[in-house]
Amino acid sequence: MPYIRATVDAVWRLESARIVAALMRLLHDVGPAEEIAQDALVAALEQWPATGVPDNPGAWLTTIAKRRAVDHIRRARRFEELAPRLAVDALEEQPDDVLRLMFISCHPALPPRTRAALTLRMVAGLSAAEIARAFLTTEQVILRRIAEAKRVLAEAGARFELPPPEELAARLSSVLEVLYLIFNEGYAATAGDDLLRPELTREALRLGRILAELAPDEAEAHGLVALMEIQASRSAARTGPDGVPVQLHDQDRGLWDPLLIRRGFTALLRARELGGTPGPYVLQAAIAVCHAQARTAADTDWAQIATLYELLEQRVPTPVVRLNRAVAVGFARGPQAGLDLVDPLLTDPALRDFHLLPGVRADLLLRLGRTAEARREFERAAGLATNTAERAFLLKRAESTNTANRDALSTYTHHPAGTAPGETTAAGATLGEAADAFLARDDLEAATLRSYRQTMRRLRRTLGDRLPLSAITADDVARTFATAWGGAAPATWNRHVAAARTFAAWSGSPALTGQLSKKDLPDRPPKQGVAWDTGNAPLRESAPLRESALWTLIGESGAPIHHVLSLNVEDLDLEDRRARAGRRWITWRSGTARLLPRLLAGRTRGPVFLADRRPVPSRPLADADRCPETGRRRLSYERAEYLCKQLTGRTLSELKHPPNGQL
Amino acid sequence: MRFLMMSMATDEPADEQLYAEMGKFIQEMTAKGVLLATGGLAPEAVVITSVGDEVTVTDGPFAEAREAVGGFALVEVGSKEEAIELGRRFRRIVGDGRSVIQQVFGP
Repeated sequence: MPYIRATVDAVWRLESARIVAALMRLLHDVGPAEEIAQDALVAALEQWPATGVPDNPGAWLTTIAKRRAVDHIRRARRFEELAPRLAVDALEEQPDDVLRLMFISCHPALPPRTRAALTLRMVAGLSAAEIARAFLTTEQVILRRIAEAKRVLAEAGARFELPPPEELAARLSSVLEVLYLIFNEGYAATAGDDLLRPELTREALRLGRILAELAPDEAEAHGLVALMEIQASRSAARTGPDGVPVQLHDQDRGLWDPLLIRRGFTALLRARELGGTPGPYVLQAAIAVCHAQARTAADTDWAQIATLYELLEQRVPTPVVRLNRAVAVGFARGPQAGLDLVDPLLTDPALRDFHLLPGVRADLLLRLGRTAEARREFERAAGLATNTAERAFLLKRAESTNTANRDALSTYTHHPAGTAPGETTAAGATLGEAADAFLARDDLEAATLRSYRQTMRRLRRTLGDRLPLSAITADDVARTFATAWGGAAPATWNRHVAAARTFAAWSGSPALTGQLSKKDLPDRPPKQGVAWDTGNAPLRESAPLRESALWTLIGESGAPIHHVLSLNVEDLDLEDRRARAGRRWITWRSGTARLLPRLLAGRTRGPVFLADRRPVPSRPLADADRCPETGRRRLSYERAEYLCKQLTGRTLSELKHPPNGQL
Repeated sequence: MRFLMMSMATDEPADEQLYAEMGKFIQEMTAKGVLLATGGLAPEAVVITSVGDEVTVTDGPFAEAREAVGGFALVEVGSKEEAIELGRRFRRIVGDGRSVIQQVFGP
């Protein structure tokens, strides 16, 4: 029985694409086509143990599947409508049926990962459990994804036909993208998973080879096959015995699979023979071939690779391609040329957490003899790497940089413009230590602390925890800000600038934020109904006394609203127009001075601003929040805000920044 | 996984129809993305033996033609059963004879 099961699976893997395609030709609907194909598979599992494996198992499965499809059509009472099609040539398989199937399973209406799952199921004949194992998820997730895909395809009216010529290129690139995604899902995984994942690279290669045979005139299909064959040829050399990734130029080229390399060469030749402008896959394959042709890393034709990357960048101008090009240029024309291309990428938000960027910089800096900076970049790369093995590798490189240049740290005495060496109080501390100490202050409010922590986290991630504070330049800070928050709202930008300035001042190096300036807040759209900024005096006068006093005090003092609301009568120093609120003084001017005595009306204790109503007896209230004379509670922030919005159309905090400076 | 399928040579000379069917089968296996390499082997063989430090080179042919490999196919598939299924199809085309399938380890 287990043997039969394995045989059925084997036949299924070889035949399912053809069978599902034939069913699509009959039913024109992915849902039933796929289900009936599964029915046929179940039928084989039930019958073959008793009858033995038929002489032509593929034909047996196809016959069963088609018979059930016809039953399905009859049951759906669509037979009359479909009869003519059944009679003529509908049952006749077409050579490009599997290609049509690929266009369906890689339909652009589906998200890429769903396309990948559906393709593995319908074209490669994998079971949901196998797909789940390969994608490190559960069978339920895959089944749900496939069911969802069927629904989307039915809704999108996806047709079982080859795309029209004007759509062909885009649809084909969708198929290629899915195959490469499947390939990379397997190829990018490293130690730990390597028992399962090679399955995926093999499936992707197999599907790619099928596609290249079905679409022999498409250069990009051959290009993708060439790329995958050559990348797969390096599988055995990519990890060391302890699972640590081995970089291309350190790999033992004797472990590269010559058979796959030769197949890659052949595929690329076929692509080139077709002519035309080379597309992204052909270019990437050509780069892979350059590496494969070099007998040793030193023999690599970097000039050619740099040229190919330049062409690739024109076609696919992504930051990652730019970074790769910089690596090639770094080898072809020297580390400085490479660094010149890498540095502009530092401000690219897409790469801000990409560990390879500091990794590449570190390599280039090391070759330039800028060891201290190289070490810092290796550490930063390690901090960003998510793969454990990779992180360990980067830390090792950082350490070896250090031991090779024991006095490297002393180069930090060189201070570019913008910092003030010797002025710093925390000069010996690293950024990480300084930030920790800064955030450990106990005089900050929770919200402020949270905000500061955000700012500091970004600085630490971008600049590196172990960087001495004294080595940070105003340029570094400005660059971090431009990358992280250059596109954020002005208010967000200003919040981070304020936090950075506080930190810079606290750490005794205010020059750090010398290049940062706050942005102007956009004018708020005028609120309808009430014009606060013009003729606000009548409004204020028409408002109830309490509101009028509160708003005036907030406007004149600029103090935090909750501080103002927390004031008690006994805190007030009416004569000197000031009051003690926690650790700070709130001061006001004549407007408030005029209104306060009327508001207090002789009260000597308790909250200055009182709610209208007495508290509900069942609600416990701290004595501090109740007026001992009237029994009324303290005006709450929510209520004050509500009333302000009701009467003026503005928020309380807007009163602190009155337009045109009026109040 | 990779499997090497070796087919033993037969005394029967292959006719044109067999060549055509073989060609079609090879094409199909290539199109399915499973066939990595294939080829026929010349009957002339060289045997190299080593005993201790001594290496001896002897010209073939083999004593018995039935022992000699006439052709091979290297396939990449997901399971042994898949390789067997391919072997069954192949045997159905070529008629009487014998093939051997072995898994290939590395690289």
